[in-house]
Amino acid sequence: MLSIDDGKLKELIVESKDLQADALRDTHSTMADLREIGAARKGRPVDLDRIKAYNTSRRDLLKKGGFGFGGLAARGLLGGAFGSALFGIVAKPASAQADVDIQILNTASSIENLAIATYGAALTLDFIQANATVTAFATTTMEQHTEHSKAFNAQAVALGGMEQTETNTKYQSVVDETLPTLTDALKVAEFAAVLETVATQTYVANMSLFEDKESKTIMASVMGVEAQHLATLRAVAALLSNDLGELVVIPTDVAALPDVAGSVAFPQPFEGTEMASPPEEGAVK
Amino acid sequence: MFENQSKENEAILTRLAPGPLSRRKVLIGGGVGALAVLAAACGSDDEDTASSGDPTTTAEEPSESESESESESESESESESEGASGDLAVAQLAASLEVLAVGTYGAALDAAGSGALGEVPPAVATFVTTAMEHHQAHLDAWNEVLVAADMEEVTDPPEDLKAMVDEEFGKVKDVVGAAQLALLLEQTAAATYLAAIPELMDEAAIGLASSIHPIDMQHAAVLLFVLGEYPVPDTFAQTDMAYSA
Repeated sequence: MLSIDDGKLKELIVESKDLQADALRDTHSTMADLREIGAARKGRPVDLDRIKAYNTSRRDLLKKGGFGFGGLAARGLLGGAFGSALFGIVAKPASAQADVDIQILNTASSIENLAIATYGAALTLDFIQANATVTAFATTTMEQHTEHSKAFNAQAVALGGMEQTETNTKYQSVVDETLPTLTDALKVAEFAAVLETVATQTYVANMSLFEDKESKTIMASVMGVEAQHLATLRAVAALLSNDLGELVVIPTDVAALPDVAGSVAFPQPFEGTEMASPPEEGAVK
Repeated sequence: MFENQSKENEAILTRLAPGPLSRRKVLIGGGVGALAVLAAACGSDDEDTASSGDPTTTAEEPSESESESESESESESESESEGASGDLAVAQLAASLEVLAVGTYGAALDAAGSGALGEVPPAVATFVTTAMEHHQAHLDAWNEVLVAADMEEVTDPPEDLKAMVDEEFGKVKDVVGAAQLALLLEQTAAATYLAAIPELMDEAAIGLASSIHPIDMQHAAVLLFVLGEYPVPDTFAQTDMAYSA
């Protein structure tokens, strides 16, 4: 039987109200329901069946060599140390250490924090600053990732967890290795696309792992936005790789766009989960 | 020129969709048997989860006494039945939207081929072909779920939405107009999936809807770019334009 301490519940409601108001101004969450769910879920055991199913699904995908890896391999991104590190990260299984929903939210924040840091680093590069449209995209995208991280952190706190303020440790090492090799805008766009793929596919995978409906609602609302970042980066990369950088403007010259611009942003009809991070990867210890 | 397009689209949808998608609105048919078929077809482990007695997956309201346990148990069964109905209803609704998208993109291709849209840029032609193929794949996936649950394939679009789209399509004279209409459809589909995902019960259904929503959002992003707008206008995806039957 579940019991709810009304006093503590009210404290929780007051404590996290400000956090939620800032982070979720666009999602208009139902705060009272959210707090009740958070209080009710606190301390629940991990659902081992879900973790088992998640790992089984990941193994199957890795065996088959999903689209994500195929796409990266085709572009030569799996050939070097970056590819090896990436595959090793994705191949890690989920473990049962804490509430899975909070783990998922922490890991999401860690990915968002990494994206914020990476776009921030990219914005310091001369060849990025030289293109006003790319600069505006990087700036806006960084701001959107900041809001996403705030939303995930607020929800983690609402569920009884802690905020994740650090970047994803494992991917941070990949970023550290890759940043010095980013010598032009095309390479930056391709690398940013990888990070957006990780974010998008992680959130797709998490939709069927979440127990908490509000968490699912929040992450679903972020998932599609990361997918749009990814689509934009793919289109930009395609234009840059065809020496059509002048078309990376808004509004663009639609008539001058190559036909590949009509398909490169969404190479498959279903988003995959091959590069999804496991729930515990960015969990606060 | 296109800065008010999203608002215009919302206004059109507001006429047709009086409220966001809700479990009540999508409850039709189904039942426990349908849930079992859907779960089996999709490789779900719902049966194991349900039988485990795990409180995290069943009742949301705590019971206060032993005497209430039985009624709570009945309530749980009822809730699972509703979940089956709801998931299959969402599958039907999603499939009908995909039928509309496939049909509309097909009509756009026909119009382009006949010269009715004027000169069509190569990227736009490729977009229409690719998006149509994607929506056909989405339709096929939802119909597989329905057939596996002993339900009929969906081959018709929502009547009210189709009537509106037909009316708007009649006004389309060029590529810009076609892109605006396509954007309306993609935003509607994306919003509908976004509204449905938290309501779905079956893991496979959640996975399918979650794998489609990002693609529709990407279609919308490219259409926004083609229309001269910023491709990622919202920090959080919205459900305002979600269609409900």
